[in-house]
Amino acid sequence: MEPTQDFTSFLLGRPVIVKLNSGVDYRGILACLDGYMNIALEQTEEYVNGQLKNKYGDTFIRGNNGELLSYVSLLTLGNSYSTGKTAEYR
Amino acid sequence: MVSTLTLCRDRRTQETGCLEELGTMANGLWHDNRERIFLFYSFFKTLVGQPVTVELKNDLAITGVLVSVDQFLNIKLDNIKVVDEERYPHMLAVKNCFIRGSVVRYVQLPAPSVDTALLQDAARRERQQPAAVGRK
Amino acid sequence: MDDHAPLESAGIEEPLDLVRLSLDERIYVKLRGDRELRGKLHAYDGHLNMVLGDVEETITVVDVNEETLEEVIRIVKRNCEMLFVRGDGVILVSPPSRA
Repeated sequence: MEPTQDFTSFLLGRPVIVKLNSGVDYRGILACLDGYMNIALEQTEEYVNGQLKNKYGDTFIRGNNGELLSYVSLLTLGNSYSTGKTAEYR
Repeated sequence: MVSTLTLCRDRRTQETGCLEELGTMANGLWHDNRERIFLFYSFFKTLVGQPVTVELKNDLAITGVLVSVDQFLNIKLDNIKVVDEERYPHMLAVKNCFIRGSVVRYVQLPAPSVDTALLQDAARRERQQPAAVGRK
Repeated sequence: MDDHAPLESAGIEEPLDLVRLSLDERIYVKLRGDRELRGKLHAYDGHLNMVLGDVEETITVVDVNEETLEEVIRIVKRNCEMLFVRGDGVILVSPPSRA
């Protein structure tokens, strides 16, 4: 299994930040993603320049294409999320 | 690459009626990875002869009769009229055009000519999903 | 991974399932160029090309006053009965919230 695959399955169900090149961030629970880096988030919050602009239930964020080039990072909200799961992952 | 056979079939279906083609897809009989192209390609073929307004990414909007469409969703229009003529006077003399699919933002469609039930069926049955990553 | 997020129980295994389950529903679409659409989803494909019905488009235009250099935000709304949307302009799709 590819390391990236390990990492992405590790992220499933966790709070993440998806950053777009436009400067907009989406924060939510990562439901799933595919090979094009299309992303489904739950409880999504949209931040523009760090300010909360919108809340959506579920969202589909289009991956891949050109300038959008999103990246996903783990949102560290205290320790509650990370500890247990990290141990299980190792 | 598209085989000659496919091209022949395309030409034939174009003649024999694209509604039939959409119907075939809706019935789930057509399961290869070209389907993803075919959904909207076939759909636009059903609209040939209808008036549409194509809005480009540079904001130019052109109304005209849909003459043809191809697999890239390039569009040919006839009897065209630019929506905002004052802003684009250089387009006044142009009577027909070919629009590269990639510069299209929207196409406004004649609602009565769109069979939404058929469209939804075809879309629902599409199996064009890319392989999932990060699952199991 | 075995914890059941709500979306998984809704039969969503990959992102496009979320769009598939929104067929015949009113969705919100965010596009490049500060455009937003609300309309009923009739069709989509893997590029996120879509056909939407009863569409309301919201365009956010930022005008700069040449003298004061003040930014004035203007919202333009348009309606369209039936609209094909090219997928490459799509940033985000949000279905109606499932209770």
